[in-house]
Amino acid sequence: MFFKSKDSNKVSEGAVLKVLSEVHDPDLHRDIVALGFVKNLKIDSGRVSFDVELTTPACPVKDQLKAQCIEKVKGLEGVTDVEVRMTANVRSTGTQGNRITIPGVRNVIAVASGKGGVGKSTVTLNLAVALAETGARVGLLDADIYGPSIPLMIGAKEKPVTNAGRIEPVVKNGIKVMSMGFLVPENQPVVWRGPMIHGALTQFLTQVNWGELDYLLIDMPPGTGDAQLSISQSAPVSGALIVTTPQEVSLIDARKGLRMFQNVKVPILGVVENMSGFMCGHCNQITSIFRSGGGEKMAHEMGVSLLGGIPLDPRVAEGGDKGTPIVLGYPDSEVAKIYKKLAGDVAAQLSVLQAQSIGQFKPLSLEWQ
Amino acid sequence: MAIKLPLAPTALKQLGVNLLGISWNDGHDSVYHVRNIRLNCRCANCVDEWTREKILKDDQVPKDIRPQKMDTVGRYALQIDWSDGHNTGIFTFEQLRSQCECESCQQKKN
Repeated sequence: MFFKSKDSNKVSEGAVLKVLSEVHDPDLHRDIVALGFVKNLKIDSGRVSFDVELTTPACPVKDQLKAQCIEKVKGLEGVTDVEVRMTANVRSTGTQGNRITIPGVRNVIAVASGKGGVGKSTVTLNLAVALAETGARVGLLDADIYGPSIPLMIGAKEKPVTNAGRIEPVVKNGIKVMSMGFLVPENQPVVWRGPMIHGALTQFLTQVNWGELDYLLIDMPPGTGDAQLSISQSAPVSGALIVTTPQEVSLIDARKGLRMFQNVKVPILGVVENMSGFMCGHCNQITSIFRSGGGEKMAHEMGVSLLGGIPLDPRVAEGGDKGTPIVLGYPDSEVAKIYKKLAGDVAAQLSVLQAQSIGQFKPLSLEWQ
Repeated sequence: MAIKLPLAPTALKQLGVNLLGISWNDGHDSVYHVRNIRLNCRCANCVDEWTREKILKDDQVPKDIRPQKMDTVGRYALQIDWSDGHNTGIFTFEQLRSQCECESCQQKKN
């Protein structure tokens, strides 16, 4: 027989799932069928269509996974057409704290450094925008009560409105933002003792109408004091990102910032080296203005991941002052590309944490009988 | 690179009138006489903030002291309300784990 009948050509669901189980998620180290990523599988004679539901829209290997799925299913006998839709459902790493629970928020990321002036706010904002560009729902809480810089960096001056006792965050560049800078005039200092800081941060976390968010980034102030303790004792932090510049003077504080999170048992997502080298616009030669290799050294010493180095680019500062983050202002620049990769890596780290069931910390309570 | 998961309890259990059990995320099960936890409190009322010298006198702690309620603090510690009214102590998971009274931990210490 040279021609098979149409029926014997029928593609079975089992056969499709079997070949798809050969596609592995490189971060979670399991196949996409076992991970439950394959959804809405439909077979219409030779046409196969299905969704691949990833754990983040910022998945760095989204395109590779899609290509692999198509290739595997196309290889099946009888398949004429394959349609794969890549979707995402960001899973929560547990945002329930015993003091503060933010119900609609799935992951809380603290961005900290120990030292001031290393570009925490710049990194936090651009990372937030890069995550939002992938389709994720993102919020940014500026926890620097004394020196809030986020409002200027996003070019927002409006006062947040209050709605039925809840504060509506300012929405800019696709992200929901809350900052002390929205509440006090630019030239007026906030002169407060620690307990007031605690009160303000608690309000920002609980009274702001964050709604449904995949990622809430907290731009931490420098140091290891009141704000850091408040956030780590009361807020359900999923993981911390440490920003440093390459030189020892910055590393010495960044190590302390990292140790603080280790002491309070917050998982470290990784280290980001900011201001790592300057590429001359004329000759393309790289000058390591603040020395080089510091971030890598620190990550190695402390046994955490180095998630990337962000070079100096005058357009970063320009974007900060003008209120347009470089990821949006110059999306094709090297720096913007690095931020987009960083967004994927951070999202992947959180997915890995989520997949390790113990990564989801649950607050415990016991009443003695 | 894999993320190192910090030490965390997965369950708190009352094992007897004065026995507390803590299960950890590395599979270990700890057991404690609750009074020993109270005697090792490191709060500023029980230990001098600067010299770290113990201020608390063991014989001032009732023999029949019991916890009333305990809650985790952030991801790193346990806060306990005690029957003698003391509640300022924050017992870190690390400290609690090092004070485990289970047989194998005790043998390692001796």
